[in-house]
Amino acid sequence: MRVWDAPTRLAHWGIAICFGVSWWTVETYRMEWHRWSGYVMLGLLLFRVYWGVFGSTTARFASFIRGPREIWAHVTHLGTRSATDSMGHNALGALSVVAMLLMLVAQVTLGLFTVDVDGIESGPLSHLVDFDTGRLLAKYHGIGFTVLQWLIGLHIVALLFYTFYKRDRLIPAMITGNKPWQPGWDEASAALRFAPFWVFFVGAILAAGAAWYITAS
Amino acid sequence: MSMFKREWRTRLVTIAATAVISTMGAVAMNAAMAATPAETIKVRHQGMKDLGGAMKTINDQLKTDAPNAAAIKGAGVKVKAAVDGMPNWFPKGTGPETGVETAAKPEIWSDAADFAEKMKAFQAEGGKIVSLADAGDVEGLRTQVKTAGKACGNCHDKNRVKKES
Repeated sequence: MRVWDAPTRLAHWGIAICFGVSWWTVETYRMEWHRWSGYVMLGLLLFRVYWGVFGSTTARFASFIRGPREIWAHVTHLGTRSATDSMGHNALGALSVVAMLLMLVAQVTLGLFTVDVDGIESGPLSHLVDFDTGRLLAKYHGIGFTVLQWLIGLHIVALLFYTFYKRDRLIPAMITGNKPWQPGWDEASAALRFAPFWVFFVGAILAAGAAWYITAS
Repeated sequence: MSMFKREWRTRLVTIAATAVISTMGAVAMNAAMAATPAETIKVRHQGMKDLGGAMKTINDQLKTDAPNAAAIKGAGVKVKAAVDGMPNWFPKGTGPETGVETAAKPEIWSDAADFAEKMKAFQAEGGKIVSLADAGDVEGLRTQVKTAGKACGNCHDKNRVKKES
C-alpha cells in the first residue's frame, strides 16, 4: 500500500544526497560546489516545509507530530519485535524528523552568511555581515555539521533497529513509497489523502524561486 | 678664531648626531629583540585577520552590481600591509614549539626554501591585487582574486593546520 508520495521521497533523497555532497565538497574544499549543494538543499528544505503544510497527509507536520503521551506509548513498545502500527512516521521518529529539518534549516541559513578564514570563500549573503561575524557564523556552521552528523547517525541507527529488530521495512518504503498492509491501519488509511499534482507544482516553483532569490546576489 | 669655531661646531654636531642615531638604533634593535614569540604570533594573527577582512571587502564589492571603488582601494592598502609585512611574521622560534596557540606548522621552518618560494608567490599575486585595487580595475580584480586565492591556498594547504571551519 502506498504511504509516501513521490514529492516526499524525492525531497528526502535529495536532502540526503545534498548532505553527502556538502560534506564531501567541504572536506575537499570544492567551495563552488559546496555553495551549489547548499542552494539545492535550501530549495529542497523550503519545499519540504511547504509540503509539511499543504502536502499529502503522511508528509504533513500536523498529522505526524504527536504529543508526549503517544510518544511515550511508542517508547514503551520499542522492545516488542513487531512492526509499528503507525502508517507514516511513528511518534518517536517524528521527533527525529523535526529535529533534522530544524537543524538543516539552521545549517543552511548559517552557511549563507559564512566566511572562510582567508576572506576568499563565502556564502551568498556574507556581504551583509562583517568579517568577524562571518567567522563566528562559520564556527557555528561547523558545530551545526557535528550536530547533524549525530542526528543523522541516530536516524540511521534507528532505521537499522526497526528493520532488523522490529522487522519493519522502513527503508524500501522510502524508496518505493509502499508498505505492506498492517492490521490497525483502517482508520489511518481512511484519513490518507494524497495532494494533487498542482499543489506540488506550485510548491516546487515557490521553493525554487525563493531559493534562487535568496542565493542570487 | 672664526675658523676654529666653525670646526668646533661641526665636530659637536657630528658627535651629537652620532649619539642620537646610535641611541635610536639601539632602541629600535631593543624593540625588535624584545618581541617575544607570543608577541610575534599575535602580530601574525592580527595581520592575517586584517588580510582576510580586506579580501572579504574586495570580494563583497565584486559581488555587487556597482562595486565601490573607495572601499576596494581602502582594502588594497590593507592587502599591501600584508604583502610588505608577511615576510617578517615568521621568524624562527614562533612555531607550535612555543606552546602558544598557532596554526603555523613546523614545515614552515623545516622546509624554509619552499616556504620562501610560496611567500614570494603570495607577494607577487597579492601585489597585483594592490595595484588593481588602487587603479579601481574591477574586471582585473575578478580574475586576480582567484589567482591570488590559489597562491594563498597553495601555502596554507601545506603549512597551516586545518581547522573545522
